[in-house]
Amino acid sequence: MDFLNSHILSITTFLPLLTALAVLLSPSLGTARWVSLGGALVTFLASLHIWFYFDSQTPGLQFTEIHDWIPTFGIRYIMGVDGLNLLLIVLTTFLTPLILLSVWNIDDKKQKAFLALFMTLECGMLGSLVAFDLVFFYVFWEAMLIPMYFIIGIWGGKNRVYATTKFIIYTFFGSLLMLAAMIVLYVLHFQQSGVYTTNLLDLYGTTAPYNTQLWLFAAFALAFAIKVPMFPFHTWLPDAHTEAPTSGSVILAGVLLKLGTYGLLRFAIPLFPQATATFAPLIVALGVIGIIYGALNAWMQKDAKKMVAYSSVSHLGFVVIGSIAVVSGGAALSAEALTGAVYQQINHGISTGSLFFLVGVIYDRRHTRLLADFGGLAKVMPWFAIMLIVATLSSVGLPGTGGFVGEFLILLGTFMSNPLAGATAALGVLLGAVYMLTLCRKILFGPLDNEENKKLKDLTPREFAYLTPLAVLAVVMGVFPNLFLDKVKPSIENLANNFRNYRIVAEAPIATPYLLGEEHKEMGR
Amino acid sequence: MLFWLILFFPLLGAFLNGLVLRKVSPTVSHILGTSALIAAFVCALLTYLQFLAGGGQAQVITGMEWIEAGTFKAPFNFILDRLSGLMLLIITGIGSLIHIYAGGYMHEEKATYRFFSYLNLFVFMMLLLVLGDNLLVMFIGWEGVGLCSYLLIGYWYEDDKNAAAGMKAFLVNRIGDIGFLLGIFLTFKYFHTVSFSELKQMILSAGAQLNGEQIEAIGWITLALFVGACGKSAQMPLYVWLPDAMAGPTPVSALIHAATMVTAGIYMMTRLNFLFYLAPTTQMIVASVGAVTALFAATIALVQYDIKKVLAYSTVSQLGYMVLGCGVGAYSAGVFHLFTHACFKALLFLGAGSVIVAMHHKQDMREMGGLRKYMPVTHLVMLIGVLAIIGFPGLSGFFSKDEILWRAWTGGDQYHIQWGLGALAAVCTSFYMVRLLMLTFYGKNRSDHHTQEHLHETSVVMWGPLVVLAILSAAVGYLNVPHIIHIPGLTNLLFEHYLDPVISIPPQVAEHWHHLHAEYPQSLEWAIMAVSVAGMAISSLLAISMYSNGFGRIANSLGSAFKGAHRVLTNKYYVDEFYDSYIVTPLRDMSQFLWKVVDVLIIDGIVNGVGQAFMLIGGLSSFRMSGSLHRHGMVMVVGIICMLTVLFF
Repeated sequence: MDFLNSHILSITTFLPLLTALAVLLSPSLGTARWVSLGGALVTFLASLHIWFYFDSQTPGLQFTEIHDWIPTFGIRYIMGVDGLNLLLIVLTTFLTPLILLSVWNIDDKKQKAFLALFMTLECGMLGSLVAFDLVFFYVFWEAMLIPMYFIIGIWGGKNRVYATTKFIIYTFFGSLLMLAAMIVLYVLHFQQSGVYTTNLLDLYGTTAPYNTQLWLFAAFALAFAIKVPMFPFHTWLPDAHTEAPTSGSVILAGVLLKLGTYGLLRFAIPLFPQATATFAPLIVALGVIGIIYGALNAWMQKDAKKMVAYSSVSHLGFVVIGSIAVVSGGAALSAEALTGAVYQQINHGISTGSLFFLVGVIYDRRHTRLLADFGGLAKVMPWFAIMLIVATLSSVGLPGTGGFVGEFLILLGTFMSNPLAGATAALGVLLGAVYMLTLCRKILFGPLDNEENKKLKDLTPREFAYLTPLAVLAVVMGVFPNLFLDKVKPSIENLANNFRNYRIVAEAPIATPYLLGEEHKEMGR
Repeated sequence: MLFWLILFFPLLGAFLNGLVLRKVSPTVSHILGTSALIAAFVCALLTYLQFLAGGGQAQVITGMEWIEAGTFKAPFNFILDRLSGLMLLIITGIGSLIHIYAGGYMHEEKATYRFFSYLNLFVFMMLLLVLGDNLLVMFIGWEGVGLCSYLLIGYWYEDDKNAAAGMKAFLVNRIGDIGFLLGIFLTFKYFHTVSFSELKQMILSAGAQLNGEQIEAIGWITLALFVGACGKSAQMPLYVWLPDAMAGPTPVSALIHAATMVTAGIYMMTRLNFLFYLAPTTQMIVASVGAVTALFAATIALVQYDIKKVLAYSTVSQLGYMVLGCGVGAYSAGVFHLFTHACFKALLFLGAGSVIVAMHHKQDMREMGGLRKYMPVTHLVMLIGVLAIIGFPGLSGFFSKDEILWRAWTGGDQYHIQWGLGALAAVCTSFYMVRLLMLTFYGKNRSDHHTQEHLHETSVVMWGPLVVLAILSAAVGYLNVPHIIHIPGLTNLLFEHYLDPVISIPPQVAEHWHHLHAEYPQSLEWAIMAVSVAGMAISSLLAISMYSNGFGRIANSLGSAFKGAHRVLTNKYYVDEFYDSYIVTPLRDMSQFLWKVVDVLIIDGIVNGVGQAFMLIGGLSSFRMSGSLHRHGMVMVVGIICMLTVLFF
């Protein structure tokens, strides 16, 4: 058990990469499918191990692994997990097998390559989430782009090359700025301490001069803003989503975008607290604009997928404003809003993930995503209708779904910090319902008058298999949020209350599962 | 235990009908849905009796934790007191009757599992709404009933009109919900809790000195929450969804859009009466909105032909009375009218439903007439319902509506206008309800030959519940007989004192209210009552003389004499058209502009332009929209190198 606990993050991160290799070596596509699904499931189990053994009493870094990598430059292999990345790790490993199920029936000669790329992508995402060394993080961060580039570029729609090129150049441009800022930070830290290190835990202690902070924060924030994407850096997203295959859209919306908001929480805010306080009004303003603007744009879309893509711009606006709701005269962040932001990342992954899946379901059958081509599907596809309505409700934040818990906490905290911003953002709750109900109405309701739609078959068992977990989770997350939030509370409060002087320590590995270890809980107090 | 079962049964019913038993016959769905509700009613009744036997003290029932973050806490706690207890009985009791009736109404449908599933889910959400001990649990119910309303209005979704009406209801309600949300935020910001019991204690405890900021906040909190109430309880200017909601099956109109959901706003304001008492400006607004809505909707109802539309506007108008009651601080009068209205309006809707079924789903009163002959039971119960709503002395509406008008008059000089509007609305009510009765049941039958042949009384499944509701409509008024009328063996104003523990006037304003409640001369109360009764009598007689045999000479000549007014009323003051041209269309145009011009042309144009510029600096061919992946991969790599160069040197 000790071995497992002290290596679980490496195992979880690199298992998908090994799976990718095994997929390439598989003799047939049939084998490759099972290999990839098996690998993804084992990875999911590994992440559940982290989940169950995670100590929910401490804000510290757990399951930490530290090894020297390039000692000359102070570059290390550092992995760890705390409340900020725990949920995202599990979301990633949870979505991957579902996506593999959704592509199970695709049968072309390149499909093996697709599976291998997809597993590589999972490795990149997990690595970015667990890395606590700037260089180590940066490697994963960039590595993640390459498989995504090919997934859109090879398996995408008509304009895939344009879309994928735009996606990669845009995000790469942001990354480069971040890299430059990282180098400056690295040098600054050396000047202050005489030690070369890229260890994030050490760098948290670096206090850059205010003016430098502004530049560094801007560079980091811009990289993450493009990734999120925040208004006005969002235009690559509708293109990428429209062209990407369903699987690509699900993972893009489900996890990749969250790395932007995660980056804000992990890097930009705690590393440059003074700059955070300075930039907060601007970022909140852009976030609120994004909420309204994304929603109004989504409303106008005629293509179901593009509509969901624009809805992401709106929803992630919520996450952004929740991440940076400054209270107490700039001394702290609103713990309510921050909790909501962390939670909403997951909710968005679940609800938008299932929306993309569902658009994929009808696209597979009709080879069109235009709303005008549908209508009245509730009659021939009643289970599809139920799934779409559940996903819609979660997306519009109806109480009882996870979306409500996240949005509510974000709006509450934002309101405490800045009533005007909170009240304006609350309009997003109305506008979200406007476009999502329009989507439902145009697809599900009205007369079933298109001959082709009359023949449509309801969900297959395989489609049930990947849609049901998401629908169930949307409700579970709305009714039992504490199952999830209990784990992340200390980390969130640590960041919220101490972002001005953020420190995080590596905890010794523990050996008692949290769920079984009530005694341990007592001892921890 | 019993308490939890009240919530459990409807949820179970919804789950079984909706997700498990989808292949069963309509009869099975009906029996399942109805028994779930009757079981809930029995549990509610037993819980209520236990509660009364235990002294009737408010109790908080603690459930599991729900949302916890930072200092915010909203657990699944429930409150059982005289107010929520009464609501429990109304919801499950009248709900059960309507469920029974619905089996008959929906018997031509092939599959009703969806219908009964939604209906059960609605009851569950409504129970959460009234039982929640904090604003957040109430909000689950608040939006949850909106969801069920949306699903049920659009039950026959194949007609796009119904789907549109459902969506309109959901969206207009959401406008109100934003107000509700802001109310929650403000409450937490200034009082650090969203629990009703804690809030009440905080406001009422003698030592609590609210600071000026908090007093001001209460003004905003109540105003924001009232916006929510306007959405749910269909008040001006957010009432527009309710008439359209009549697209749903009639039992839905009876349960959701008359008896229960639409009263949520009144319930919420009564629950938080201690806050509203501290916000005189809000109260003034509440009373005015209620009174204006009461009259406004009543005038529209005067000229409608669709039997359900008349009832819909009548509901809006009656809700206006309840809101007026809350606005003048007469919460128990408001809740009492809620109670009597739930009985007689459910009765009227279901009666109308029976008529509609008999008429082969025709709703236009111009094609009805003379149904008394064919449907004697329905006629009798509808007559009782009409007499109840118009305030015929001795029936429930007389006691409850007059109580509100009396309280409006005595609520202070500033409320005399509101009283006037309310009294005028009462005159209209008598007219349009008697008109409805005349056009439907009296005179000659005007339907076509085919329909006429098939006219007959409905089955006992449908008229049985109507009889029960008719008895209630006639009787419940005696729970609150005014002081000036002495009936041997009846306690006067039983109901008003019933709610005493819930209605708590904060010490700061107690003196003002005490002063207002000082004795008024009995003659004044008699006079106010006489005005109401006289108005009722005159307008009823007018309606009888005009419509006793269809659209008589007087009706037609009146219509042509006031052509303009008639047209404005028939078109409902063009409010929908106004919203459409001045809100929806501009918003849509703006969104189109944002997408086509701002997003695609400007923002994306700049992005692509910058991309091209970089490529040109790199000395490469332009950033093309298509081409082979390999080539673009190469372009990309070169581009990246260029950017690196630019950045670092």
